[in-house]
Amino acid sequence: MTSDLELAARVAGSDDQAAFQQLVQRHQAAIRGFLRRLLAGDHGTADDLAQESFLLAYRKLASWQASGSFSSWLHTIAYRQFLQHTRKHARQQVMADPPDSGFDPTPSMDAEILLPLLMRQVGPEERACLTLAYAAGMSHAEIVDVTGLALGTVKSHIFRGRQKLQQWLKEHDHSLQTPGTDPASEARHA
Amino acid sequence: MPDAPEDLKLARQLDGLLGQREAVPDDQFVLTVMHRVQRERRSRKLILFAFGLLGAGFGLLGAVLLAEPIERLFTGLPATGIMQAALLAGAAAAFYVWSMNDDFSLSN
Repeated sequence: MTSDLELAARVAGSDDQAAFQQLVQRHQAAIRGFLRRLLAGDHGTADDLAQESFLLAYRKLASWQASGSFSSWLHTIAYRQFLQHTRKHARQQVMADPPDSGFDPTPSMDAEILLPLLMRQVGPEERACLTLAYAAGMSHAEIVDVTGLALGTVKSHIFRGRQKLQQWLKEHDHSLQTPGTDPASEARHA
Repeated sequence: MPDAPEDLKLARQLDGLLGQREAVPDDQFVLTVMHRVQRERRSRKLILFAFGLLGAGFGLLGAVLLAEPIERLFTGLPATGIMQAALLAGAAAAFYVWSMNDDFSLSN
């Protein structure tokens, strides 16, 4: 399989469209998933921002320094797009309802519904750090590169964010239906 | 104090949940991105072509306007004078290129 570095070099050097398409195919799920998590389930906006991120990556590909991974660089662009979007829509967010007002989460809720709800319990920076650490599997150093936060802040966001989520789950008496944790599914697989 | 078994179970479940990937690969998304990339390339080419055409037009206009004064300037000059002037201009250009080339290595 051709490496990201080779594909990026082909795009930057000879404007190779097929190479860029391969890069989009390879990283789209991660970037879209990251933005969906940051936007706490707003899939439409997340996909729009993901498109903008890839377009920006195409424009700036020549300036990519291959010191880090291509995936980290893409996540950095996506995170900045998200911050820009948040700043633009900060007013609407302040005026919006509190995250879980009028919503009574039921036990054994599906993970697809529960995840966005969980993400609304933590701030944007904590969301980003938690998602990059758990879903993207990045190291603390990589998260520092992506978010531009200090190492101590990243560690604290992950620790505190996780604590908040665990506390919230405990308070709402949840039993999660995640793959591998559903007792019925475990019994079926046994 | 050690965590209660329920807490540990909840923590494991939370880790699993956070580790999930939310988006699956979507071909339509790739197509949309590539379509936008192609549109951007086309508009970039169009802008480049339009400005190139504008530049060529102005260049042509300048050449037409300056043709007569330039011809007058060189009429009656000796061939050796023109050669010396060309040599001087070449040397000045070479000096300029040399002095602007600051891409030197810092390593030994």
